[in-house]
Amino acid sequence: MQTPTIASSAQPTLTRGVRLQTDSKTGNSVLLFPEGVLELNETAHEILSRCDGRTVSEIIQALAEEYNVDLEMLATDVRETLADLQRRKLIELAELT
Amino acid sequence: MTIPRPYALLAEITYRCPLHCPYCSNPITVRNGNLKGGTPVTPGKMGSQELAPPCHAELSTDEWKRVIREAADLGILQIGFSGGEPLARRDLPDLIRAAREASLYTNLITSGIGLDDDRLYALRDAGLDSVQLSFQSDNTDLADEIAGTRAHQRKLDAAAKIRAAGIPLSLNFVIHRRNIDRLAQMIALAEFLQAERVELANVQFYGWAFLNRAALLPTREQVVRAREIATAAKARLAGKIDIFYVLPDYYETRPKPCLNGWGQRYLTVNPIGEVLPCPTASSAIPDLHFENVRARELDWIWRESESFNRFRGTEWMPEPCRSCPQREIDFGGCRCQAALLTGNAANTDPVCTLSPNRARVDAVLRDLNSSPPKAFGGDWTYRMNPKSAATLQ
Repeated sequence: MQTPTIASSAQPTLTRGVRLQTDSKTGNSVLLFPEGVLELNETAHEILSRCDGRTVSEIIQALAEEYNVDLEMLATDVRETLADLQRRKLIELAELT
Repeated sequence: MTIPRPYALLAEITYRCPLHCPYCSNPITVRNGNLKGGTPVTPGKMGSQELAPPCHAELSTDEWKRVIREAADLGILQIGFSGGEPLARRDLPDLIRAAREASLYTNLITSGIGLDDDRLYALRDAGLDSVQLSFQSDNTDLADEIAGTRAHQRKLDAAAKIRAAGIPLSLNFVIHRRNIDRLAQMIALAEFLQAERVELANVQFYGWAFLNRAALLPTREQVVRAREIATAAKARLAGKIDIFYVLPDYYETRPKPCLNGWGQRYLTVNPIGEVLPCPTASSAIPDLHFENVRARELDWIWRESESFNRFRGTEWMPEPCRSCPQREIDFGGCRCQAALLTGNAANTDPVCTLSPNRARVDAVLRDLNSSPPKAFGGDWTYRMNPKSAATLQ
C-alpha cells in the first residue's frame, strides 16, 4: 500500500465539532461528532492525543521516542491513520506558515 | 441474550412546535387517554380541584437532568434534543449544560424558530456541540406552504447566526413529492449556507406522514431522477459537505436496518417520560406498553422491559427473516412499518420483496405510478399541536 502524501510540516487538528473523549464504559478513546461515534484503536488514540499543534514529523518523533518501533513503519502508520481521519473529515491538516 | 450498550438518546423534550409540517413523525394523538381535553394539571397546581396525576405533563427540568445522568451511566455518548421544537422549552440551556457535564455530545435538532442571538449564545455557552436545522425547501413560498407558517426566512436568519457563532451546522431536508424535484436547489442552499452536513431524507411513513402518504409519496420517475442528482452532488462535494441521501424505502427491495436493530443502540424519551425503542413506536405499535422514567430507572428499562426486549436480537423473527442470511444486516426492517402496513409488528417489514405482504406496498406504488397526479397540490392534513397536558410544562 502506498503511503499517503501528508506533508511532514502539516499540523493535524480535530475538525470543529469533533470531540476526543474517553468512553467511561470501556476506558477506550472515542471521537464524537454529529450523529456519529468512532471507537479509536490504540494507534489512532496515541496520535490524536498528540494533535495539539505539533506537526506530523513532531508527532512521529514523539511516538518514536516513546515506543521502540521501526521509524519507517511508524511513520507509515501515522500517515495512514491521519489520511483516514482526514477522509472522514474528523481532522484537518493545516500547513505550517 | 447479551444486552448491548446504547449509544444515543433522542430526547423529545416537547411536542409543542410552531410548524405544522404534514410529515411530522410525532404521534397524531398522544397516548394515555386523558391527554385529550379535561383540565390539565401541572405538578405546581396539584391539590387544586381535580387530582389528575402530574404524569401526563412534560418532564420537569430536574426530571430531564436525572434522565441525562442515567443515560450517561448506561453508556450513552450522544444526545439529540428534539421535539416538537426543543426551543419551546426555556430550560434548554440547562439541559444542554447537564448533558455536557455528563460528557455527552449534544445535538440540537430544531426548526430554528425562536433562535435569536441571546438564546443561541446561551446554548453555545452551555456547551452545545452541533445544530441540525430543518428546512422544508429552498424556495420560500413552497417551504412556507409545507411548514404551514411563514418560517423560511427565519430559518435562513437562524442558519447565518449559527454560522457566525461557530457552531457546526447540518441542514435536514425531508424529501417528498412536493419538493423532491428541487433537490439540486436544496443542495445549493446548503452550499450557500456553508453547512458541513446535509441530510436529504425521503419521508418515511409514520405519524402524520402515514396519514398524508397519498399526498407525499414521490413517483418512481421522481425517485430515479433524485437519486442521480444526489449521487452526483455527493461526488462533487466530497471533502466539503457530507451528503446523506435517504432513499424512500417503499421503492427499495430490501428493508432498511431500522435503528440498527431494536434495542441495540438507540433509545428515545418522549415529552411525558415514556421510554421508546423508536420514536414512532408509540403510535405505530398500539399493544406495546412503554415504561416511564418517572417510575423506573433507565437502566432497568433498557435491560429488562418488555418493550425493549420484544424485538431484540433474532429470536422473535418469523419466516422469511428467521432463516434469512440478511437477518443480522437489516434485522427484519422496521417494526413500526410492519405494524402499520400488516397489522402485526412482528412481521417482516413488507418493503422486503421476500415478505408475503410486499403486495401491499406494491399496490400503493401502482396506484400512484399508474396515474401520477398532474398537479402536485398540497392536499394534506397539517400537523397540529396535541391538545393535552403534554403541551404544558
